[in-house]
Amino acid sequence: MLFRKKAKPDSHQSDEELVADLQRSMDADRFGILYDRYCAKVYQKCVGMTRDRDLAHDLTHDIFLKAFVNLSKFDHRSKFGTWVYSITYNYCLDHLRKTQRQRTDDLDEDAHGEVEHPEDRYEAELLSMRSEMLDEVLSKLEAGDRALLLMKYQDDLSVKEIMEVLGLGESAVKMRVLRARERAFELYQQLQPEGS
Amino acid sequence: MSENPFKIIRPTDQPPENLRKEVMGSVKLLMLLMRFMQLFMADYAMTLFENVRLTGKRDTRPSAAPPAPGSSTKDTPSS
Repeated sequence: MLFRKKAKPDSHQSDEELVADLQRSMDADRFGILYDRYCAKVYQKCVGMTRDRDLAHDLTHDIFLKAFVNLSKFDHRSKFGTWVYSITYNYCLDHLRKTQRQRTDDLDEDAHGEVEHPEDRYEAELLSMRSEMLDEVLSKLEAGDRALLLMKYQDDLSVKEIMEVLGLGESAVKMRVLRARERAFELYQQLQPEGS
Repeated sequence: MSENPFKIIRPTDQPPENLRKEVMGSVKLLMLLMRFMQLFMADYAMTLFENVRLTGKRDTRPSAAPPAPGSSTKDTPSS
């Protein structure tokens, strides 16, 4: 039956219960509850990554539509929040990469073997930057590097969670984080006024 | 120990009011399109076309391919 009456959604249901209901039958009200739970986080993430509120508005709209269309593919192995973040990061990155030229040295980084640098290199420098300086460094950093640093130091995602979001292996994630920190530190040194 | 500067610069903007309306409007439109897709997938459309063809056809004998438009047949009165 096309237009059968549906039971009212319970706003106390967990994300996973709501998604399971939505996978059984599409329902705008249930999706509305998920939207209300995640819209601020997704929007803020888009603002953080793009630094453009109008663009973040458009991207948030598209991300929720993408999530709705792909709900049937959510396999309940990860948290729904992680899945939404994964769409958010990847969609923002795709968009930014279309507008920014991707640095070619990212392409062959997976070919490297073991991480030859200590994992916490430049971490202390990065975390001791003044917030205004860090903001400037991040604005000049390539989108992929910026996303990684935000995931790790702003959202406190573990390496495992970043692996899920980006669909990469552990060594690739560690290598990318390390490279992102290195580039951030190089930019920081360039932005430092002479003699300070 | 100083605070993590990444946390300090975290955006706190709230999404615009109209965004919810836009998203839910698009979601409802998508649902409508999906319903129509379901309708066609369930072969309702083919059943409908089949009925239209049968009621319009008097002759039940197996027939050859229909004549091409513009081609002359025996029934066509010659001028």
